[in-house]
Amino acid sequence: MKTLEELRKIREKAQQDMKLRESNTRVKVVVGMGTSGIAMGARDVMKAILDEVSKRGLADVVVTQTGEKGLSSMEPVVDVIEEGKPVVTYGNMTPDKARRIVAEHIVNGRIVNDYVVAAQR
Amino acid sequence: MQDISLHLLDIIENSVRAHAANVWITVVVDILKNRLTITVKDDGVGMDEQTLRHAQDPFYTTKLERVKKVGLGIPLFKQNAEMCGGNFVMNSAKGRGTELTAVFQFDHVDRMPIGSLADTLVGSMIGHPETDFHIHLSRRFISGDEAEFEFSTAVIKEELGGIPITYPDVIAYCNEAINEGIKNTKMEEL
Repeated sequence: MKTLEELRKIREKAQQDMKLRESNTRVKVVVGMGTSGIAMGARDVMKAILDEVSKRGLADVVVTQTGEKGLSSMEPVVDVIEEGKPVVTYGNMTPDKARRIVAEHIVNGRIVNDYVVAAQR
Repeated sequence: MQDISLHLLDIIENSVRAHAANVWITVVVDILKNRLTITVKDDGVGMDEQTLRHAQDPFYTTKLERVKKVGLGIPLFKQNAEMCGGNFVMNSAKGRGTELTAVFQFDHVDRMPIGSLADTLVGSMIGHPETDFHIHLSRRFISGDEAEFEFSTAVIKEELGGIPITYPDVIAYCNEAINEGIKNTKMEEL
């Protein structure tokens, strides 16, 4: 059984962890979760990204869901947003491609050009 | 949509887009009544009568209208419920949120599988940290026994103090807790 006691322990650990950092969110990842995105597999992409963030302990990454963005033919779509950098939009995502983006772009800072469909300031 | 949990995700996204602060989700499987019932209720902006009607009509969105107001998500879910001996009801009023109930005949040959409720629920609660999700799963067996599971992100957030629900260990915690609840109510493979 999952207990609230466990959550308290996580809280203590997280509080220590966050004291050491200046900014709490370094990267924001946005997964398009409109009807067509969902139909094309966006939920599995979301799951893969959350799994990577959780396994790698990426405390400065926030993953959110959003609605349709007018890129229906390229769904599932994922935006990677970093302070002071152009927004990078990846298209035709799969769970494997999404895991690669976490490892290469979010962790190591190298944009995965093969999957980029748009970049804007 | 290949399964019910994907429809549920689509409906939850509607609630979040309607600026809901709270979303109440119930999944009830009652073998004795041969029913699978999904309810999603929110305290978002709600809809007036006309919008509510249009939201359920697949032919409403026309190409002349450049701004897409409603899509196919709700009509498809409604069709899927009605196609297998169930029904679909949606109530809403401006400023008073929306409540939607989809009932499926549990043993109908055309009923879609429930699919991964865990992926839908965990994705939504982490992907929308500003919204609170109140989840209730309930299963009634042939024996008459019942299994229930309750989960609320409001409780989790209170316990966490200022630590965000998006913190890696918390994601893992929520994922495990939800999967445990699904397992305990035996909803993994329906």
